[in-house]
Amino acid sequence: MLVSLNWLKSHIDLDGYTTAELDDLLTFAGIEVEGIKSSGVPSDKIVVAQIIEAVQHPDADKLKVTKVDAGEGQLRQIVCGAKNYKVGDKVPCCLPGADLGGFVIDETKMRGVESKGMLAAASEIGLTDEEDGLMILPADAEIGKPVKDIFGADTIFELEITPNRPDLLSHYGIARELAALTGRALKQTFTGPDVEKSTDPSLVAIADDAADLCSYYSGRKISGAKVAESPTWLKSRLEAIGLRPINNVVDVTNFVLHELGHPIHAFDIAKLDGGRVIARRATEGETIEALDENTYTLLNSDCVIADASQPAAIAGVTGGEISGVSETTTDILIESAHFNPTAVRATSRRLVCTTDSSYRFERGTDPLAADLASALATQLIVELTGGTAENTLVVAGEAKKLTGDLTIDNDWFSNYLGGVTKDEQSEILTKLGLSSADGSTWTVPSFRLDLTRPIDLTEEIARVRGLEPVPASTIATPSHTSVDDAVYDHTLDLKKALASKGLFEARTIKLISSAQLSDSADSKLRPVALKNPLSEDLTHLRPSLLPGLLSVAARNVAQGASRLPFFETGTTFAAGNEAGDVIESQSFTIILGGDATNRSWANSSPRQLAYEDLRAVLDSILPNIRLKIKPADHPVFIKSADLAVGKKLTVGIIGQINPARLRELDIDVPLFAVELHLSALFELATKDQRRFTELPKFPATTRDIAMDLPRDLPTNRVESVLQGLNLPILTGWTMFDLFTDSTGQKLAADRKSVAYSLTYRDDTRTLKGKEVDDAHAKVLAALEKALDVRFR
Amino acid sequence: MAGILAMTGHFCVMSYRLFVIRLRSLHATQEHKSARTNKIHSPFSTGAQRPLHTSYLLLSTPNMLQSDLNTIQADALIAIAAATDERTLDNARVEFLGKSGRLTQASSVMRDLPKEEKPAAGQMLNETRQAITSALDDKKIALIAEADALAVADLDLTLPGRTLPAGAIHPLTAMQDRVTKIFRQLGFALATGPEVETEWHCFDALNTPADHPARNESDTFYFDSGKLLRTHTSSVQVRTMEGNKPPVRIIAPGSAYRRDEIDATHLSVFNQIEGLYVAENVTLPDLKGTLEFFFKALYGESTEVRFRPHFFPFTEPSFEIDVKLEATGKEAKWIEIAGCGMVDPAVFDAVGNERGDDAYDSTKITGFAFGMGLERLTMIEYGISDIRHLIENDQRFLTQFA
Repeated sequence: MLVSLNWLKSHIDLDGYTTAELDDLLTFAGIEVEGIKSSGVPSDKIVVAQIIEAVQHPDADKLKVTKVDAGEGQLRQIVCGAKNYKVGDKVPCCLPGADLGGFVIDETKMRGVESKGMLAAASEIGLTDEEDGLMILPADAEIGKPVKDIFGADTIFELEITPNRPDLLSHYGIARELAALTGRALKQTFTGPDVEKSTDPSLVAIADDAADLCSYYSGRKISGAKVAESPTWLKSRLEAIGLRPINNVVDVTNFVLHELGHPIHAFDIAKLDGGRVIARRATEGETIEALDENTYTLLNSDCVIADASQPAAIAGVTGGEISGVSETTTDILIESAHFNPTAVRATSRRLVCTTDSSYRFERGTDPLAADLASALATQLIVELTGGTAENTLVVAGEAKKLTGDLTIDNDWFSNYLGGVTKDEQSEILTKLGLSSADGSTWTVPSFRLDLTRPIDLTEEIARVRGLEPVPASTIATPSHTSVDDAVYDHTLDLKKALASKGLFEARTIKLISSAQLSDSADSKLRPVALKNPLSEDLTHLRPSLLPGLLSVAARNVAQGASRLPFFETGTTFAAGNEAGDVIESQSFTIILGGDATNRSWANSSPRQLAYEDLRAVLDSILPNIRLKIKPADHPVFIKSADLAVGKKLTVGIIGQINPARLRELDIDVPLFAVELHLSALFELATKDQRRFTELPKFPATTRDIAMDLPRDLPTNRVESVLQGLNLPILTGWTMFDLFTDSTGQKLAADRKSVAYSLTYRDDTRTLKGKEVDDAHAKVLAALEKALDVRFR
Repeated sequence: MAGILAMTGHFCVMSYRLFVIRLRSLHATQEHKSARTNKIHSPFSTGAQRPLHTSYLLLSTPNMLQSDLNTIQADALIAIAAATDERTLDNARVEFLGKSGRLTQASSVMRDLPKEEKPAAGQMLNETRQAITSALDDKKIALIAEADALAVADLDLTLPGRTLPAGAIHPLTAMQDRVTKIFRQLGFALATGPEVETEWHCFDALNTPADHPARNESDTFYFDSGKLLRTHTSSVQVRTMEGNKPPVRIIAPGSAYRRDEIDATHLSVFNQIEGLYVAENVTLPDLKGTLEFFFKALYGESTEVRFRPHFFPFTEPSFEIDVKLEATGKEAKWIEIAGCGMVDPAVFDAVGNERGDDAYDSTKITGFAFGMGLERLTMIEYGISDIRHLIENDQRFLTQFA
């Protein structure tokens, strides 16, 4: 909301307060100052000048050489590029030395022709004007007079009024708040109309079924009005806050709204069928052409102000085009009413029609202010149009005070707020317009709609007093580690471990496009779609972290990265069994590909990361865990497997990303990924049952096996055989060689050579050579029996 | 030369003839050995080794011995000095001190000396041996030092290192952990809640009017089920109180969602850190003290913190918190950083209704809550100007936080 300092000063004396002090005063009362602008002509060396002559510049098509009379006794030559003026117009002339906010006008030559100043557009001298080009001043402007004296300077505050304070949505409201904060008196208070109220349902009525939408409606008739341009004082008030003056009646309604915060409307009675209005529910599908020239289709939940045949206004939102005040209007009906905030909001939102009026009604207005607004509008319109107001205010419904009395516990308040005496509480509440006989039970003024519960007064005391005098205390009692704490710590440990292994943590946003859904690791999960996505790129909650990480890889490749080690942890989402259920899980996903290290002098062509690198990372975060790897078929991978520990614990999915997908993403290196359930990792970590085993006292014997196997035989089949043997003295094995030769020269192309080193040991004695030989022979026999193996 | 004089008077005891034979054989051995050595070590080849006196017989025996030892010592020192590595040095040692080295041979005269002359002769021999040994030791140390120096000759301390693969945790994670650590110091425990929320948990329970604009479909993401994506982590307050009796002291870092177009200052999915402390007799001074402690711990003890009155539906009174921070090269200015307030009793009433007990009786229980944007904290901390850097995960960005 824009607030003019000059306008405020018509309500309260603010002399002695600098702009910065007012800024602080408002800010620390809870009114956010979003901007402060000084308006007005910046220099008194900008004067009214009349253009006497304008001839074409000899060397520039777009320039004219003018001679202007700036009241100096002789004409001044100024080169000018504008086109919108004619000889004889009066325009602002910046004399040499005029400072336009850092830019000082000087005598100069333009394309070889002397120019002793500048003719200015409104925007160049701190004013606003719809016109493009030079600002054309009124014909009666006095030549040589500083333009500053015609357009007074002002300071405009842009304020953000929080939704709980509709009473601040006007100049009077802000002045009232400033009066409370500064202790200075308001220059005037507004009182009700000195007219009789009467009811006349044939003129002003509220339909029975609309009583919940409109609790009070008043109409004041003014006849014989002469609609014309508004006087300068009124226009400049409106212009200061960015409104365009229209005519003296419309301008008064706008002025009253920004003066008192209570919206009013003026109808042209001649255009109201039957010369009467009724606040009623719209009939379903009824239409109205509004002042903004849009035609709105209404519902039964909307409230309209209708004449005998059709809606003349959408209650509290906008007037109708037909019944609006125009130059030909002579008889006016001034509406001042109270509308249901929720209904106004619903209507305004559905019609996408927000006006200064709807903005205020939907935040809540004080019904008692309706009569004040009506009285002020009547007084001004009569004054400006020469019309005559009827001496009765025709009303329907009742303007009720919405606020009541609140009783507070002064001791409780004092403790809660950090030590505020009862006297201080009373002082603050009194300043704010509340009244009390005993300091405990307080009567809330009608305009403070937000003060409905005793607790609401804590805010009033706290904000006026500030937090400066409040003592600071800290509580520090132990709290138990929550499961969330343990998961948080575990996750952070994992992140740090991976970062130290050279991986980057990515954090992608949790919404993905429907096109990205097929990048999900687990194709069996059912994704969850948003009902109202913002864009095609963000339509679904991610069922997997892989889509995000693949786009991270693609982005980095596009930026020239050759290493692609990324991981992410975070929530993933899938539809549950019941309709509407969403299952949220924590996932942990790693992708690897590209160069193993950055290129350096020591390694000018780093090797490419491979599946076994991913496996190494995985093993490092799952030490001493035997993973079950079961082939699976998840489409984003060209080859994938499900990971499990034991029979029950599903750990995740691992595999190589489908090269076809990588080509689409312009990623030209193989990429490997594993998506893990963080809950499984956490379970494994918390189940940790590591116990120390005594170091072996007796020496071990190792035996190597070199063998060739079918090339497509999964290596873990060898380990299964070894494991299945259950030989107590076979304590471990390591695969130490793997060799294939696609040319078939050194080894048949469909075979692979694999070598294992087996360790034999007994914890209680040194094994005899023969025992080891026997055991090893069993191993070889078992391998031979189980697999298509040839020992080498 | 006291030793030489001491020997003089005793020499006659030894058979003169025998002595000469001994000396001759010594010479012969020596010459033979030298010749062999010379092939290898050039310094010996050009008369560096003086021939021993053939006229010993004419001189007094002690003098002859001394003179011989002088020669041996001088030769040894030359040989030692000429050694270029440990092997040639060892050759020199063997030549002079070895079993049949020149000094060892010269020592053999001791056997035949009269007892009373032995000490003086022994002393002469010892001195020579010591001189040679010490020269050998010195040379050995020098050679080792030389070899060490040679071994590091190629070490260029300015050489770029090999590259260990660099990784990093995301700056949002790092910042979140800093915040978490401080609140843990104050006894806050972590809490989480669902991101797909009911309207009740996200709005109703938090005293948000039914027609509040935040509930609009234009501002909030909804699902066909009527559920929504939480617009703030404040819903975790409600979830936590539903499941736990007071006292409750939690912080809840997590995602929140708003239907904002992504630009330099907005994300549709962003992160907040929510905090809540609820117990009997929690007061405004507790809020002030806790949050002042937090921001001073985060930005330094001397950091100025101010509370500006504001409005939130779920707190009463409510404040926004500004801290005065210096951006590099700029004057310190107030930066809005968090929102907070005393929990509105309406929130306790809503929770109480849902729980069906009086654990959160709003006449007894009070509390404060606060929330801040993780992205904003991170951007301020590291001087990041565009919020999109935080979701793009460009390595050139991430490596800056390695």
